[in-house]
Amino acid sequence: MKKYRSFANGLILLAFILVALSVGATHIDNFWSALTHPGSNEILWQIRIPRVAAAVLVGGALGIAGLMAQGACNNALAEPAILGTSAGASFGAVIAILTGLVQVGSVAAVLCGAVGALLATSLTFKLASLRSNLSSFALIIVGIAVSATITALVGLATTMVTRADARSISFWNFGSLSLITTSNVWSLFCVFIVGASIAWKVAPSLDLLSLGDATAFHLGIDTRRVRALALVALSILAGGAVSTVGTIAFLGLAAPHIARFMYGPAHRYLIIQSALIGASLLVLADTAARTVAAPNELPIGLVTSLIGAPILIALVSVKNTIWKTP
Amino acid sequence: MITINEITIVRDNREIIYDYSEQIPAGSITVIVGPNGSGKSTLLAAIAGDIVPAKGTITIDDAHPALTSAAKLSTLRAMAMQNQLYTLGFTVRQIIEMGGSADDIMEQLHLTHIADRHVTTLSGGESQRVAIAQAIAQKTSVLLLDEPLAAQDIDSRRRIIDLLKKLADAGTTVVVVAHSHENDLSWADKVIKDFL
Repeated sequence: MKKYRSFANGLILLAFILVALSVGATHIDNFWSALTHPGSNEILWQIRIPRVAAAVLVGGALGIAGLMAQGACNNALAEPAILGTSAGASFGAVIAILTGLVQVGSVAAVLCGAVGALLATSLTFKLASLRSNLSSFALIIVGIAVSATITALVGLATTMVTRADARSISFWNFGSLSLITTSNVWSLFCVFIVGASIAWKVAPSLDLLSLGDATAFHLGIDTRRVRALALVALSILAGGAVSTVGTIAFLGLAAPHIARFMYGPAHRYLIIQSALIGASLLVLADTAARTVAAPNELPIGLVTSLIGAPILIALVSVKNTIWKTP
Repeated sequence: MITINEITIVRDNREIIYDYSEQIPAGSITVIVGPNGSGKSTLLAAIAGDIVPAKGTITIDDAHPALTSAAKLSTLRAMAMQNQLYTLGFTVRQIIEMGGSADDIMEQLHLTHIADRHVTTLSGGESQRVAIAQAIAQKTSVLLLDEPLAAQDIDSRRRIIDLLKKLADAGTTVVVVAHSHENDLSWADKVIKDFL
């Protein structure tokens, strides 16, 4: 039974992808024929497929990034947006783009985003552990403060320096998949593979880290190294996603929790399921964002919150024994 | 064999342990007894390698815990904390298997009937027994237990003590921290009191 349940999210994602490819402002004649003949339909192959592929990769990346954040902090509230990771990624990418060094969505922009994400997340951890050992409370409070400060800097930078290709404040705060190109998809794919591989390697150690640093150490885990690797994976995944499509709220928080409620706490298994659920939510949200008020597009970050939040509320309302807050 | 050589441990600018030496023989049960705040858990944590003494050395079979990697150390000593918190809903079996094979030890500590329960639903005594089982499952030559009897009923106490005796007979060096209100320590080979 569990074996079949494992495939459920894969099938749901596949169904959402097909729906996303088939609907939109323009009707595609002979959809199945167009889908099976590469390049035969320009709207399908030049616009929708890159966009849906980006939604799959960004959603998957944010799902795994959230899992890494929660695992490294041993905290149910941790996610890229709360730890300052997303804001740091925006800042890194915006500064590099505004100075004309890189273009949005390029590999260089992704790298700048990942570096910004890593620096901001490290800053949160450093500040949270200044006065005493790292506590969950300090981490969340400091993370929110770091995030707010860096988000303000991104807003100021995009307002003070005008460049047509630098994107708007709305893009960096709420995200958008409307400007995705095929080359962006390849950059995202590379980032996803690198980040997910590190996450896969560190996942079994995160199981032990959930018992607390002391017990993990007694079981042979180098807790500093494991936490650092998880934060590198988090920064690469969130940095790549945010620097290409802006900040998309809620996926990093919701996807791992939904996966945990469905499949239990083992991190390696959760990497696959968090990625599938994150991808499914974003494909669904993006499809809604571009069809509900067509030809206008809704900000994707708002739609992910509207879809993901009720699911999460429903899951935590049911009595559960999967995550206990000390 | 654990050798403690003239150690001083300082925490928050306060000397918890000062210039203390001790030898804990292999294949025996040693109980460290003392009231709250006496530093007995600190001493255990120092043997485990969690705390580095400001002065002096500790060795476990010639290895210095403070200079040994976490992975290597986990093959030399195992430790069960007093208040182990479980935040994620792994099953009892999964938690014990993080230390090593689970079936035998679950049987001996009367945990088999809750093997598939989530650890987030356990009572204090059950959580403590799971932590002890996980440490024993590591099959190390040194076993460190912080107040393992504190939350146990009479049957569970007897089971734990019987198991510790069996492990010591088989060559394991068992070090147990106990509160000073523990009256019957006849099961211990050596009792350490007033070590400050």
